[in-house]
Order: sequence, then structure tokens, then C-alpha cells
Amino acid sequence: MSGTLSFTDVGLCFRMYQERVDTLKEAVLGRFRHRHAYQEFWALRHATLEVRAGESVGLIGHNGSGKSTLLKVAAGVLKPTEGKVRVDGRVSPMIELAAGFDPDLTGRDNVFLNGALMGHSRKEMAGKMDRIIEFSELGEFIDQPVKNYSSGMYARLGFAIAVDVDPEILIIDEVLAVGDERFQAKCMERIRSIRKSGRTIFYVSHAMGAVAELCDRVIVLHHGALVFDGQPAPAIERYRELQGFRPESSQVRTAT
Amino acid sequence: MKAIAQLWRFRELIALLVQRDLKVRYKRSIFGMGWTLLNPLLLMIVYTLVFSTIMKVGVPKFPIFLLSGLLPWTLISVSISGSAHCLLNNQGLIRKVAVPQMVYPLAVVASKLVDLVLSLVPFTLLAIALGRPPNASWLFVLPAIVLATLISAGLSLFFSSLTVFYRDMRHLIDILIQVWFYVTPVLYPLEFLQKLPYPWLRYILLANPATAVIRCFQRPLYEGQAPSALHLGAAVLCASLVLVLGIAFFLRHEDEHIYSF
Repeated sequence: MSGTLSFTDVGLCFRMYQERVDTLKEAVLGRFRHRHAYQEFWALRHATLEVRAGESVGLIGHNGSGKSTLLKVAAGVLKPTEGKVRVDGRVSPMIELAAGFDPDLTGRDNVFLNGALMGHSRKEMAGKMDRIIEFSELGEFIDQPVKNYSSGMYARLGFAIAVDVDPEILIIDEVLAVGDERFQAKCMERIRSIRKSGRTIFYVSHAMGAVAELCDRVIVLHHGALVFDGQPAPAIERYRELQGFRPESSQVRTAT
Repeated sequence: MKAIAQLWRFRELIALLVQRDLKVRYKRSIFGMGWTLLNPLLLMIVYTLVFSTIMKVGVPKFPIFLLSGLLPWTLISVSISGSAHCLLNNQGLIRKVAVPQMVYPLAVVASKLVDLVLSLVPFTLLAIALGRPPNASWLFVLPAIVLATLISAGLSLFFSSLTVFYRDMRHLIDILIQVWFYVTPVLYPLEFLQKLPYPWLRYILLANPATAVIRCFQRPLYEGQAPSALHLGAAVLCASLVLVLGIAFFLRHEDEHIYSF
């Protein structure tokens, strides 16, 4: 069954260089002195999780808790430092709404470009074009360069593309913060129908109401560790608890 | 092998990136495509003045000789300098979408390849005007273009990856390209190198991987003859070696790029 995802003891380590070596001179000199002057920072560690096809999983945690890192590993952008990742199916990262847009190209050209970035052919995207234009409510603006778009129009087009590429696994990362209320409602409606259609969804948000409503299961991340995995209500409680109180050090593997 | 199959899946992305590059490059410029064609012609006039009229290299129909080498050389050099920063420029995408990163330098090479093919049109007109009209040997330009593209791709992959780790590669690349240009038989015929009095220098200069590839253009376009099997073989060897090394280097470091942006 495609749309499944499994993480086994996954860790991702960033090296934080005290003095970054990014010129030749430094590299040559670095041969002779403090070459390995860096600190390790584990943005994610010992993450083990199984996601079944059609599950809708919420990810919550404080800023810097490792949510984005986990999603980037799932999307294949970052390779895990340790552990095993198995992803079955196409992952559509809702790329922070339109990070893949080229400002000089028209909305229409950007639809093709975004589709190609996710591995879709021009023909496939041409077939989806009308639906995308309709959903994004851009009308004739679709043939304008996107640099002339308002931020709301940008976001609407980005969302319309991401939900229409038919991914087996859809990653929705804080997207509903943009767009007006009516469009947000429309997006929520769309996410609900994607969920009903049996797609696997990863939903990241700080809006607990939406998380509780949309997700079957919620994972709480804290300083790079998975501290809770289960029903939305207790997960949100745990998250609030972690926000309010200093965590007990025994429960949390802090990155050092 | 898996990486190549992956790349094939994203061939349309490369096509779109090329389209984007061409569109953005030619929009809002008065001459549009004209610049691409004008640039080698202007260089030709200057080089002809300096090397043929002032310094008297003594090559008949110098403009055709020069262009037949300068056009493929331009593909190689602008591919390298153009792709050096392409990973850095596309880091926004690389951080978010899992696409084989090779598409970015390869799209640069493909877009420069379009320029080369286009510039063959005014070249042909010039060749006819100066009395070296196309003949059957020009068919060899096709494999020559493939070889020039492969060597450009290998070098672009190598330098684009290296630039991520060492930002000052850009300056080094500029110098390298200039030196490389003068030791490659573009401004003077290959025989000049073979007549050098120092054998060691001769061997070093003949080991230049660009020489064989460029000869494969000069033979048909300037001399009107098929390139010798030796030159063709050497060019195939050089181009595939550079390509394989470029791909190997790139794939080895691909996953580390993201940490060095």
C-alpha cells in the first residue's frame, strides 16, 4: 500500500562550525589548525514512527523542536545522519507556499515549473490547470508575472498547486496563516476532502484547534525528541504542559 | 545508475529551467536573442584585428578558423562560469524539494547549448560569405556538439559542487578559464603547439582535454574535412572521462551541499 512512511531510530545532526570554512584560504590554513572546530547539534534524534496509509498525523512542538527537520527528512531533502527512513509513495511538500516560484515568470509558467519540481510532466499539469486556476481564484492574473501578485495571491496559487498534484503523502506546513478567512476555510475544506480520499497527511501547525480537528493522531516533538505519539487531545495537553513547565531532563533528550 | 534514472524522470524540469533561463534572459532586452549571436561576432572582429591583422598569425580566412573553435570554447567556458553559482542561487528550492541536484548545473549547460546551436546560423552565413560553404563533413559537427556538451556538463557538475564549499572558487574559475583559453588552440592552429621546441611543454599542452573536442569542430567547419579517427577517439575519451569524474564528484558531495549553503 503506498502512502506509508516509517522512521527507525532516525537522527539528524547539524555541524555548527565555530569558524566556518568556506573559502580556499581558510581550507588550506585549516589543514594546519583547528580543522574540526565544530559542535554537533542533533535537530532530531531517536525518532521512531510508523505512519499507515491514509492516516492524518499532526506534528506539534515549540519553535526549533525539530518539526521541519522531520518533514525535510520525510520529503528526502535531508538525508538522516543515523537510522533508517522508508517512504512509500510520492511526497508533496507544500513548499512553504511557493518557494519554488520564479518571480519573473507568469502564474501559468510557475504551475508547470512547480509541477516539474514534483516530477509531473507538462501534460499532466496542463490537465490540472483549469482546476488550479479555479481553486486559486486568480482568473486572468494567471498570465501575469507572479512578482506582481499580492502575498495572498501567491499563497492561493501555491496551495492550489500543492493539493492538486495528487501526492500519496501530503505535507502541510503552517500554510493556513496566509490568505483571508474565506480562503482559509476553503483550504480547510479541501484538506478535509483530501483526508477522506485516503491520502496520508502530515499537518504542522501551532493552531491547536485545527490540529485537533484534522488529525487522527498527533506527535509532540520537544528539543528534537519524540515525546508523545497518540490521540490529539492528550497530545495537545502534553504540548501545553511542555510549554508551561520546564521539562524534566530525564524525559527529554536534549541536543548538546 | 540509479541517479541517472532519477535524472531522466526530471528531464522536463531541466527543459523548464532552460526555458525559464532563456525567457528571463531575453525579456526586456532590446536585442533579445541578438546578444547571444552578437557576442561571438564582436569577439571575432577584435581577435581578427589583433591576431590576424596586427600580429599576423598567418592563418587564411582567420575569422572562420577562429569562430569554429571559439563557438565550442564559449560553450565550455560559459557553462563553467554560469553554473558555478547555480546551486547557491537555487538553494531555496534545494532546501525544500527533493530533486536530483544535478538538474541545476545541467540546465545551465543546456541553455548555453541552445546559444551554441543558434550561433551556428550566423556562422554558416559568414562561412558562405567568406568562401567556405558547408559541405558533407559538416555532419560531423553533430557528434562534436554532443562531445562538447558532455565535457561542459562534467566540468559544470564539478565546479558547481566545489563552489558550494569554497565561495572564492568563482575568482579562481575566472582565472582558470582565461589561462585555459590561451593554451587551447583556438586563437592559433594546433600545429603551432606541435612545433614548440620544448617537448615537455608540448606534451602538457597536448594533454588539454578541450583540444581534441575543439579540433572536432575546426576540422569540418574550417577545413571542410572529417575529423581524423585519432581526434574523434581522443575527444570521446576526454569528454567521457571528464563527465564521469564530474558526476562522481557531484554525487559524492550532493548530500553535503545543503549544510554548506
